[in-house]
Amino acid sequence: MKPAWSWQFDPATLQRVQASLPGTITREWAWEGTTGAGVKVAVIDSGIDVSYPGVGPLAGGAVVVADDDAPRGARVIEGPHEDLFGHGTACAAIIRQVAPDAELYSIRVLGERLTGRGIVFAEGMRWALAHGMQVLNMSLSTSRIDYFGLFHEIVDAAYFQRAMVVCAVNNIRAASYPSQYASVFSVAAHEGRDPFRLEYNTSPPVEFGAPGIDLEVGWLGGRSIRATGNSFAAPHISGLIARILGKHPALTPFQMKTVLMALADNAQ
Amino acid sequence: MPSNVECQNTMDDRGPTNDVLAQVVQLAADLGPVLRPRGDEEFLQAIVETACLVFDAEACSIALFDERDEHLEFRVAAGRGAEATVGIRIPADRGIAGWALMSGQSIAVDDVRKDPRFAADVAESTGYVPNAIMAMPLESERQTFGVIEVLDRRRGGGEGVDDMEVLALFARQATLAVETSRIFSNLGRALLESAALAAQRDSLRTALHERAAQAPRSQAELAELALLFHDLGALGADERLTVARIAEDFLAYARKRRR
Repeated sequence: MKPAWSWQFDPATLQRVQASLPGTITREWAWEGTTGAGVKVAVIDSGIDVSYPGVGPLAGGAVVVADDDAPRGARVIEGPHEDLFGHGTACAAIIRQVAPDAELYSIRVLGERLTGRGIVFAEGMRWALAHGMQVLNMSLSTSRIDYFGLFHEIVDAAYFQRAMVVCAVNNIRAASYPSQYASVFSVAAHEGRDPFRLEYNTSPPVEFGAPGIDLEVGWLGGRSIRATGNSFAAPHISGLIARILGKHPALTPFQMKTVLMALADNAQ
Repeated sequence: MPSNVECQNTMDDRGPTNDVLAQVVQLAADLGPVLRPRGDEEFLQAIVETACLVFDAEACSIALFDERDEHLEFRVAAGRGAEATVGIRIPADRGIAGWALMSGQSIAVDDVRKDPRFAADVAESTGYVPNAIMAMPLESERQTFGVIEVLDRRRGGGEGVDDMEVLALFARQATLAVETSRIFSNLGRALLESAALAAQRDSLRTALHERAAQAPRSQAELAELALLFHDLGALGADERLTVARIAEDFLAYARKRRR
């Protein structure tokens, strides 16, 4: 008799895994010769304006709206849509800086209404996971304790299907979701401008630092603005992850964290 | 005559005293939020005035979210255009403030006039169009209340994150002020409405039960809490002391868990 789950470790069942990391992880090993081609990246934000130079074309997208009559309280409308604020365009342009050939998807969850927004965020994440996104960029958060369980369930599902969830932390020293969970790549801004420069924080929950202060970022109508926020740091990490996945598609989230930590400026 | 018939029926059912009591209490419940002391608004005003000074900013304001029509309403302001700003309502789906509210994230934009959808019409109506905006959501772990904005700050020298850490302190104060005020209002409303129901029924306990069943979740919790206090009041001093100890232990445990 065998307990549940043990059958997966029978010699006849057990699958081979690609687990090799090099002895020393270098930038050359991690991302030289890759542009993020073939990697699906979801920008879960306010939409993406493809008129901004270098952002388009998009591989697809969807708008999520709150709907009290829908089974989970939100409804997904697939297809092209505009950017309501400009912020999603900023994120897409940042991702393109380091992963110019990634397959970008816009999942608009911001702008319809505030009421029920946690449900809308969650549904956007579910759509991304159901459509095989490998990187989910979420420059948004909620402090609502009501959503703790909901987002926990979704980021666990993401982890188990090897999707990397990258979240900006909010600016208040309190828990925010989904950036709070251990499997998430939580990001805050550092003062650098080099999009390939990242730092690792040994005192999480904020784990990675990336550029996000006084940056020239893409916005609406093909224009750019100068802006600051942790929300601009997250897409830098999303872009780097997409770039690395373009070369090493089998990496799991925990391996990716190891790689990013090794490539951090403050790594010894 | 119709009015006499109505009056007669009322007296037959419950007597005039209860009916009048119910109406008075209902009126008080409706008027309470309108007539409550203006202390919380004055506190918010003090916050924006202090923030204006600290940042050496042209203006600072707080807009609160109105879920009835998904709008932000500017409730207090200091600096240029302050008088014209208070009372302005904008849809929550636009502008830097709208994005901060929706995303739960802080943002600073230094050349906001380049944003083609920037709510220039709103800014122009205040007589002051800023170049730079820093916006931060007012959010507790229970609710999102609105946004605090600082326009054209001169102090901070471009170190945006430092500015945001300071603004976060003001945002925290404003959030606590608004949340405390709303809890107080909602509790008062729940109790008064329950009293109105009790006047028509026969017991406050039943009325509180009904109120809890009908209310939105946040207010239902308050009604249930009021019900517990109502029942506790009927017990002896020893029982009340025991409950107080249990509540203290639970609070200590909960605080430790959240650290």
